[in-house]
Amino acid sequence: MSATREEPSTTRVASRGGLNLTGRSPAWWLGAAALLLGLVVLVLAPTYLLLESEQRTLGSVFMFVVLAQGWNLIGGFAGYPSFGNVVFFGLGGYTTAVLMAKAGASFWITVPAAAAVGLGFAVLMGIPILRLKGHYFAIATLGVAEGMREVVINTGELTGGNKGITVPAVGSEATTSYPGNTGFYFYFLALAVISVVVVWAVARSRFGYALRAISQDEDAAAAAGINTTRTKIAAFAVSGVLTALAGAIYAFQQVTIYPERLFAVDITVLMVVMAVLGGAGTVLGPVIGAVSLQYLSEWLRDNFPDYHTFVFGGIIVLAVLVVPMGIVNFTRDAWRRKRIALFESVRQYRL
Amino acid sequence: MSQFLQATVYGLLEGGLLALVAIGFSLVWGVMNIVNLAQGAFVITGAYIAWKLNTELGLDPYLGMFVAAAALFVAGYVIQRLLINQIVNAPIWMTLLLTFGLDLLIVQGLQLLFTADFRAINTSWGTDGFAIGDVRVPYGRLAGFILAVAVTLALVWFMSRTRSGLAIRTTGMDRAAARLMGVNVRHTYALTFGLAAALAGMAGAILGSITTFSPSAAGGYTLQSFVIAVLGGLGNMWGALAGGILLGLVQAWGGQYLSGTLVNAIAFGVLVLVLIVRPAGLVGRPYYEARAEA
Repeated sequence: MSATREEPSTTRVASRGGLNLTGRSPAWWLGAAALLLGLVVLVLAPTYLLLESEQRTLGSVFMFVVLAQGWNLIGGFAGYPSFGNVVFFGLGGYTTAVLMAKAGASFWITVPAAAAVGLGFAVLMGIPILRLKGHYFAIATLGVAEGMREVVINTGELTGGNKGITVPAVGSEATTSYPGNTGFYFYFLALAVISVVVVWAVARSRFGYALRAISQDEDAAAAAGINTTRTKIAAFAVSGVLTALAGAIYAFQQVTIYPERLFAVDITVLMVVMAVLGGAGTVLGPVIGAVSLQYLSEWLRDNFPDYHTFVFGGIIVLAVLVVPMGIVNFTRDAWRRKRIALFESVRQYRL
Repeated sequence: MSQFLQATVYGLLEGGLLALVAIGFSLVWGVMNIVNLAQGAFVITGAYIAWKLNTELGLDPYLGMFVAAAALFVAGYVIQRLLINQIVNAPIWMTLLLTFGLDLLIVQGLQLLFTADFRAINTSWGTDGFAIGDVRVPYGRLAGFILAVAVTLALVWFMSRTRSGLAIRTTGMDRAAARLMGVNVRHTYALTFGLAAALAGMAGAILGSITTFSPSAAGGYTLQSFVIAVLGGLGNMWGALAGGILLGLVQAWGGQYLSGTLVNAIAFGVLVLVLIVRPAGLVGRPYYEARAEA
């Protein structure tokens, strides 16, 4: 521990941006080791632990980690509640599906193409729409997503319209051999790890601080010298790229995709619920939210097949009232104050 | 030409009812800065109440609508007072999530109660009508339109001539100042939400008698409310009526001349465009700040 004593405290503050391995507390090392161990377990799990069906379930959990983190950047950090983030998911999915089915492209070529489409659309749409705020922004993004779905439905020659589009996945026509449940497990796991690392890097960078400043007071942030327009568009673009990549993998996994599913409002709502219930604007919150809600949803589906959506609605209502600041922040506050305060937030937010 | 006129008449008449759905939505958004994603669910609930009364007791939907409105007023008042009031000051995605959760509860609840089958309220006189030249005007749709205009007039009177109406408008302008003047804001908010729910339920009862409905139709009415409220300007009752009629016309013409569902894409395109260019709506001004940069 000699390194700890030699490090002056000022250096620690100054080196906050990078990954500094010296001068870390034992708790930090413990946490890092646990994360690494968890990752190793997840990588080895398909071979030794999991059934095919369980890999499929976990794959969808990882996908929602990516989607929730994508929303977290624009909704959680920048405070712009996008209610149309599914548009990137749908565009990414359709980029992959159309390129594979119509142009005979390999899946690996369509992945960067999907990312580029996500990026381009986020910038083009962000320039006018990020000037709106609050509900106006939420409704405008919702309108864009719904409108894009209708466009996809009505351009049948290219996208197959309502009848859907099928990716050539088997036989001699397949452009890339279908990787199966284990393959998609790893694709989604890799993307989930990337998304967490990206958000982690953003959270501790100058960019991340700028986003938090915008979320708290945009005028003050601008006065402090932050180019708010560029910062918001950048956050939207990163969010769009991550979400589009998830859509690309999802389209290949599903083989046949339909506009109703790929542009479903429900997917946006799930992103929001997961990010918010886990803890919007935190790195781990969306992961916790995605894992717990996706498992809860599966459990409800198995145990209450007829009314799981009904119960899910009730859980959303209850959760908004009990933990509106998210599980991560709730736990941290409870830990610091050494007491569990249910409905504490209601005291704070009520009329 | 007669086809065009027929579409125009149908669009105009149905637009009035769409306006009735959206007036409450617009009021809630304008006064409380809450986007109520459950508005469509209220409409469908109203339709089911009128349908149940019609099939069990043979009650005409134009009488059933008062029962639907009363029931939804109580439900809306309680929902606002007990649930939404608790998180009014939270970040806005909270209210969006809360009303979405309510939407799921109501829509799925209706589906469990009444199944997902399409229903319609059949009246003896609703499909009868008269003709002007080649254009047919069904009594059911005409009565719905007259009702919508009458309710809008009544609401305008209520908002400008009664203490409760003035309290609602004052609260929308400045909540803190309204409180200082002795307005009970908790009650006023609940009253506004109850009123919005009642109008949605009333519109639902009538819509149920002129079109078919099922729980899954709720989302469509919510989305149409967005478009109308934004077109007309938030909290603006005349604007909502004009916006509703405009949307009804555009949808009727679009259904006539455009292939498939392209008309929906246009509706959303117009919505986004209006938001960007004039977030205050085509008429009026915003109660709450719409733009990040003034």
